[in-house]
Parts: sequence; structure tokens; C-alpha cells
Amino acid sequence: MAEPILAGVAESELGETPDRNWLDNAAIATVRALEDAGCSLADVDGVAVAGGNDYMPALVLSEYLDLDEPSFLEGTEIGGSSFEHFCGHVRDAMTRGEADVVVVAYGSTGKTGPGRDRSLEETHPVDGFVRPTGLFRPPGAYAMAARRHMHEYGTTEEQLAEVAVSTREWASMNPKAAQQDPITVDDVLESRQIAEPFNLLDCCLVSDGGGAVVLVSEEKARELGVPEIAVAGVASTSTHRQDISEMPDMTTTGAAVTGPNAFAQAGITHDDVDVAEIYDSFTYTALVTLEDLGFCEKGAGGEFVSGGTTAPGGELPMNTQGGGLSYCHPGHFGIFVLIEAARQLRGDYEGDRQVDDAEVAVAHGTGGLLSSSSTVVLRREA
Amino acid sequence: MSAPVEDRRESWDGPVPVPTGATVPFWEGTLEGDLRYQECDCGNRQLYPRAVCTDCGAEDPPFEESEGVGTIYTYTVCHVPGEPGFADRTPYIVGAIELAEGPRLLALLDADPDVLEIGASVAVTFWRLSDEAAMPVFVPE
Repeated sequence: MAEPILAGVAESELGETPDRNWLDNAAIATVRALEDAGCSLADVDGVAVAGGNDYMPALVLSEYLDLDEPSFLEGTEIGGSSFEHFCGHVRDAMTRGEADVVVVAYGSTGKTGPGRDRSLEETHPVDGFVRPTGLFRPPGAYAMAARRHMHEYGTTEEQLAEVAVSTREWASMNPKAAQQDPITVDDVLESRQIAEPFNLLDCCLVSDGGGAVVLVSEEKARELGVPEIAVAGVASTSTHRQDISEMPDMTTTGAAVTGPNAFAQAGITHDDVDVAEIYDSFTYTALVTLEDLGFCEKGAGGEFVSGGTTAPGGELPMNTQGGGLSYCHPGHFGIFVLIEAARQLRGDYEGDRQVDDAEVAVAHGTGGLLSSSSTVVLRREA
Repeated sequence: MSAPVEDRRESWDGPVPVPTGATVPFWEGTLEGDLRYQECDCGNRQLYPRAVCTDCGAEDPPFEESEGVGTIYTYTVCHVPGEPGFADRTPYIVGAIELAEGPRLLALLDADPDVLEIGASVAVTFWRLSDEAAMPVFVPE
């Protein structure tokens, strides 16, 4: 099986982009990522897009970029994990010789764009069971799962806060991060209540922005002369969708399935992982995913994240750009975990921001209301 | 069972359920104070109502009446309104209720947040929100 090479990565402007729509941001990120890979729009023969709230997004972006009859088109929408999920389909397409240069793109105006249509008419029947309860989604849904984890395993609000504190330490070294001032556990606990047990600093930012990665065949990568960051393992699954009460076990996510699958494909163990980019829509998202991926025992996530394990200099550097909690979160954060994983493996940074000699990275996406999980293992070829 | 149904049509500004397809019998039951779930001939029980059994695939599994009691699987206290019409209501409690019959249901909890706990017993009541539907709301037993 071919292993696609992650040849280029880029973001559009992040934060507030009131003069751009989702498509503008996706397109800007795409051309920047192609430039990063040393190729151009003329080389692109595949496009994979999610987010953007548009019908037929792969066609929309293909038209916008005036792509020349792309042979690979992908628009599967599984929320924030879509882009990790795409990596598997791209691998399959490259194995079949269907595409050599595929752009995986995302754009959003989650902060300044128009609000969602709130009509209940002709929507999914479960909406009638969820929306009248007033549950603030997604925070309230994740909060309910976190509460259950606290009940079953004794996880504390302080331990959840540790995730935000460590993540902010990384953000303090990232000029692109929206929030860079260091915070303490007390700062998290004293921030505004959102949905118990979550306070404001347990929750991700809301941003505009886009991101893109360029996946190329091994042959094309050699031609381009890029560092060979290989997609060595990919797995996806889902457990439910709109209604958090449908999640079979709120303390175990689909990462418990996708982690072992992706690790086995890549032939790695946890000791091989140098850097982890783990979707952190909320502090709990990262904590439970670390458990499910097997970085610690089930239920021991609170203990694991305490004391700076995932902070700069820690045993498992995690969310080294500042994560969804401090860097940006336009809605589907999954593209940004791939971008940062690639940059760490390429050694793009200096000083403490760079994880020493990083060869293997895990990029994990989560979508919906803890609903979908996709794990990608990236490996820098010697 | 027939649990109390309180008419909240005048005072409710939030979203109201729209009965469609397989959910129609559920919402009809709520107007009478009945909490219904689907129990297929194969034994599978499910909520929300669906046109097929999620276990054996049988079409339109029949409805049964719940006893209307269960336990709190988990809950959150919302300090930020998640829907229109909830601003004056904050903080309010949303729980995932595990019915005695098995299925889980997302619902408002009409209770004091300070004494709530996971595993506590709760019973259903209904708030009538429209001519077509009343919403299940759970109270501590």
C-alpha cells in the first residue's frame, strides 16, 4: 500500500476575517500549502474538503480554484475528524494510481460569519428530543461526558484544567496563537462558568480561518524534493451523532478503536511517539482521547495530564501550537492537528517550541459531540 | 402510567418538538402523560423513535409505555443558554436519563443543582409546549 507524503501545509489568516468567506479562507490556505510543497494549482489532481456549510464542497472549491478535471473528489463530512479520515481515502486513491497531488482543505468564518439557521422545520427527528432541552451544544454535551468521567474515575476539575494550562504554555511560544498569556489552574477554575463542570478556559476558542495540507505520492515527493513525512497509519470510526445521550459509554470514545488500528498499521508503539496533536475542543476531549489512544490506563487521564506531562519539556509534548484551546478553532480543528504534526516532524521551529528530533507524530481528530474519531500516524522517513 | 402534564404553551419561548414520521406516536403519548419507547419483537428497546429496529432491522417497531422512572446517567448545569428562549432560565440542568427499561433520554431536570448526583432516581413529568407535543422533564423521586 502506498504511503502518501505530507508535502505542504499552511493556514490562511486566523482570528477574524470579516472580509472573507469560508471558501476564500480554504482557497488561500490551499495555494499557500501548495507553495509550501513546491508545486502549484496546475499539479493538483485531487481535492478533499469538509466544513464550510456548503453543499457539494469538493465541487465548490474545485470550481473556485478552476482545477483541471480532478480525478479524486472527497467531501465526506464527519466533523472535526474529516481531514484525518480523508488521509485514508487519499492513500487508497494513490494506491490505485488515481491521484498524485491531493489538496485537503478547510475554511470557516466561525467567528464573524452568519449564524446557523435555527429552524426546527424538516430537520432530523432527534432535534425534537434535543433542542427543546436547551442543551448548549457542543459545550454542554462534552460537559455531560466529562461529568460522567469524573463520577466513574474520580477525575477532578483541577485535572481538566491542567490540559488548558499546559496547552497555553505551548501557545505562549506561537505568535499565531490567539491567546498567549500563561494561565494557572486557578485561572481556569475561576473563569466564567459555561456548562458545569466546564468554565470558559475549558472550552476552545471561536475563530475564523482555514487550513490545508498537500498529500502527494512517493514518486511526486521525490520529484519535489520535500522532506518525506509519510502517512503511516489511518483509522476512523463513530459512536453516535446529534444526541450525546446516544453515546454508548460517555467515558470511552472511538479513539479506543482507531488508535490501536492506526498504530498497528504504522507498526509503532506508544514509546515511538515523539509528539501528539490531539483534538482539544474542550479540556476533556484531549484527556479522554489520551486514555483511549492508550497513552495511559483507562481512567488515569487526569493523573497523566497533571504536572506538565504534555507541556513543553514534558514526557509527551501535546498540541504544540496551542491547540483549539489557545491557538485557533474555526469549527473543524482537525486540519490544524495535521499541519502542526507535519511542522514538528520537519523540524520547522527553533528553541523550546521544537520537539527534539521528532520522527513519529500522532494527529487525532474528533468530530460532532465526541461522535467521530480519526487517528493518523505520521512518520518522518530517514 | 400517566404522569402529570403541565400546560406551558403560554410561557414557553424555546424550541418545540415537531412530530414527524416515526416520532408521531411518541409525541401523541406525551400529551396524555405517557412516556413511550420502542420495543421490537426481537427484544431490542430504543429511543428516539425510528422507522427501523437498530438491532434486527424490523420496520416500525411497536411502542411500549415506560414506567417513567430512571436514574441520572450524567448531567450538566448550563450557565449559557443553548437555545432561544432559555436566557431567563439560566442556570438550568440538562441530564441524560437512563430509564428503568434501558433506553437513555436527554431531558431537562427540574431540580436543585446543589443536591443532584449521578445515579439518583428521577421520575418523568411533562411540560406541554404546543398543541402537538409535551416535553418530558424529570424530577427527583
